[in-house]
Amino acid sequence: MKYFRLIVRNVARNPLRSLLTSLVTIVLVFVVTMVWSVLWLLDLVTAERSENFTAMVAERWSVPSRMPYAYAGPVSRGAARGPDDVVPKDSMTWQFYVGTLDPEKLTRENLVFAIACEPEKIETMMDGLNDLPADQQNQLHEDIAKLKANRRGIILGHNHLRAINKQVGERFKLTGMSISKGLDLEFEIVGAFPAGRYDTMAAFNRDYYVDSMDAYPRTHNGQKHPWSERNLSLMLLRVKDSQDFTRVAGQLERSPELTSPAVRCETMSSGISAMLEPYRDLIWGVRWLLAPACLATILLVIANAISISVRERRRELAVLKVLGFWPYQVLILVLGESLLLGIGAGFISAGLTYAGINWGLGGVSFPVGFLDRFFVPPGALWWGPAVGGVAALLGSLLPAWTARNIKAAEVFAKVA
Amino acid sequence: MNDIFQDGTIVRVDGVHKFFRRGSERVDVLNGVTLDVPEGEFLGLMGPSGSGKTTLLNLIAGLDTPSRGEVWVGDHCISQMGEGELAGWRTRHIGFIFQFYHLLPVLSAYENVELPLLLLPLSASQRKQQVTTALELVGLADRIRHRPGQLSGGQQQRVGIARAIVTDPTLIVADEPTGDLDAHAAEEILDLLCELRETLHKTILLVTHDPRAAQRASRLLHLEKGLLVEQIVRP
Repeated sequence: MKYFRLIVRNVARNPLRSLLTSLVTIVLVFVVTMVWSVLWLLDLVTAERSENFTAMVAERWSVPSRMPYAYAGPVSRGAARGPDDVVPKDSMTWQFYVGTLDPEKLTRENLVFAIACEPEKIETMMDGLNDLPADQQNQLHEDIAKLKANRRGIILGHNHLRAINKQVGERFKLTGMSISKGLDLEFEIVGAFPAGRYDTMAAFNRDYYVDSMDAYPRTHNGQKHPWSERNLSLMLLRVKDSQDFTRVAGQLERSPELTSPAVRCETMSSGISAMLEPYRDLIWGVRWLLAPACLATILLVIANAISISVRERRRELAVLKVLGFWPYQVLILVLGESLLLGIGAGFISAGLTYAGINWGLGGVSFPVGFLDRFFVPPGALWWGPAVGGVAALLGSLLPAWTARNIKAAEVFAKVA
Repeated sequence: MNDIFQDGTIVRVDGVHKFFRRGSERVDVLNGVTLDVPEGEFLGLMGPSGSGKTTLLNLIAGLDTPSRGEVWVGDHCISQMGEGELAGWRTRHIGFIFQFYHLLPVLSAYENVELPLLLLPLSASQRKQQVTTALELVGLADRIRHRPGQLSGGQQQRVGIARAIVTDPTLIVADEPTGDLDAHAAEEILDLLCELRETLHKTILLVTHDPRAAQRASRLLHLEKGLLVEQIVRP
């Protein structure tokens, strides 16, 4: 602590150089923080849970999955046939619906991707909606109650609400597209998903979807909708633990009721991993090239700044040795300067990133798979300083070692 | 001072050789120098450039080690100490005054003088007392908050002297302390060194080219080509 004042003074000795070094570190720590926040989110959603598993059941050989609606019953029971078979704790059906606000203008903003489901299962089966703050939980609960009461109700994610420029309470009409072609639905917005959760999704009452499918022949010369027999996109099952998951998966995949088409059962995380598969190379590059490149750049910038500083101060460092500073104390002084710069800049960067992204922007859009947006995790408040500190420490090792080994007699001999 | 030889000698240089290597060439700087310095002496070292004055001073101050021979200061054979041990020894026993002051520009006069005390197990109040005393001794009690850049050359050298005496060292070594000063400031610094010797009974080793500075020494040694060639003792 006695040397801290000296360290601070030395850092402040050349304000411009310290400022520029800090700014570069701040920018690079910002990039690393953003990269690691995304990777942290991906790791989080693809990590296997040890208990309370959410399993995803979909058609085995086809993408997008199209299972017969009749599968809902046996799948929800885990295709259990004997008393020893495992029955899932809960289940939820998902039927995908895609529609546009304006069939003449098929822009991304006009598209709405929605799932038809059992309203009461939204709270219990969809990850991330059962650990909300009390006020958000209550609001969602009220919205779900409205969705149950209003067959034409819909709950939208925040991105959808923004894109279609509607507010809760307003009505709108969607013209079915793709797999939903011919199914034109009218909705009343009864609520919104909490900000940051399912921002690019929408959920509506399954009964409305089924009724519309049933009504299709009346407006299409008695012809059934092409997907009327196979409109169950996927099912979510909640099982106790990984052991139960393995057994349920086996039961489903061996069930004679579920052979045409065959089904696959995987954990939610492995399902998301599969969705992320097209981005695998990009994620690999971000994880193993971009982030290390940023770290290496911080390291080089700090190494350069500290090297210049040590070279400029050879005489001063020699004076310290004459006064009796041990070599390790000189080493600590130089390392301390770079650590102060690195940790300080890292903390400022991470703090600003955390506040700016989470509080200022309300997260950053990340529409990949079921992911909507990402937030900077609180851990960044120590990652940032740690990244800055470690890079500074590594970058200054060589110049600090040079300073440690300065021979006072040689320095002053040259002066003389 | 109780760690001195029985004959009152505080510095003993015994058959010291020092050579450097410049590529494949060997440069002999000191060639068997033997020297005793009694406690309280003001010893001047003179000689032409390259005669080995500063090298001898560095050996006595523990900044360098001899190629051969021994250097004793008090009861410490410093020529056999390691780098770390020498560093600790210098803090307590050596006060070094430089030609170009070599104050840290980012620190105030007070903080520069306090610097060597940071290495000793002293409380903040003890450090403050010692720094204040040292700065009063050199007549700079009213300049404690000034940075080196705000002081004249003479004042900076006074701060350098205060830094050298603040730990109450066994020996003060001064390498051309007046070399960068005008005549008036140089006289003041020499007066101050003499005063330190008389009032605090400090042993002072002074390397100089300046005949006026040399006149203040109680004994003057001349070096040439690494050998002591002449000795002048003043009454």
